[in-house]
Amino acid sequence: METDFNNILIFGTNIKTERDKETISKILNTNSEIDQWNIDLEDIDSVLRIETKTLTIPEIIKMITEQDFKCFELS
Amino acid sequence: MRTRDTNKEEIVKQKAIQLLVEKGIEGFSMNRLAKESKISVATLYIYYSDKDDLIRKIGIEIGKNFFSEMTNDFTTSMSFSEGLYKQWENRARFTQKFPLEVSCWELLTHSSYSESIIDESLLEFKSIMENFFKNAIEKKELIPISKEVFWSIAYGPLYSLLRFERDGKNFGGGPFKLNQNITREAFELVIKALTP
Repeated sequence: METDFNNILIFGTNIKTERDKETISKILNTNSEIDQWNIDLEDIDSVLRIETKTLTIPEIIKMITEQDFKCFELS
Repeated sequence: MRTRDTNKEEIVKQKAIQLLVEKGIEGFSMNRLAKESKISVATLYIYYSDKDDLIRKIGIEIGKNFFSEMTNDFTTSMSFSEGLYKQWENRARFTQKFPLEVSCWELLTHSSYSESIIDESLLEFKSIMENFFKNAIEKKELIPISKEVFWSIAYGPLYSLLRFERDGKNFGGGPFKLNQNITREAFELVIKALTP
């Protein structure tokens, strides 16, 4: 099935290392409202990509910044 | 509401192939691709989840195009010489029509992406060619040799000639054009080498 582009949220972060990634994995993996997510650690903006039908941009930003990482919407 | 812009996606694909060929896999970045395609990084990440995903998808698409071109007018029941010549024609056409795609394909199939790309795009083609190869040996139109030697003898000369064609020069520095006579001449020698 084709992913609905409206359900994809894209953020820039300062998540840089595998260890950082593990930290956010814990909260993202356990959130049932997130269908799929991944982060591109190779990218300058460490782009975080989230597929969700229900969560909003501010809600995601709050989740990530609460883990002491920067997170901003990329548009 | 965001909608799929296939035109933009096509530009991204072309730019990605170009950048991969120019910079190699290591030097390729999503940021750079977004910039060159004149789209935002966010849009690019909507199409592809990350660099790996993009490279795999690009590779698979090239593989599928190659597959459909190679099987054009080709059947495994053709005589060995007829079938191989059809492969030569199809390969020459594809190489000349899509030089960047061919360079990109070379790059990707000699990288860590190779397996996942080939498995997704060329398994069917491989089995068609294996059948053709097997039939030819059974019909005693081809000597029994390993696949690697077969490939080198059967297609090596063609790809060498295509390189001359691409450069447009012969050894003396004069012009070179791959015409049907030259192709036939090389092909006959290949057949001579491969038939019992």
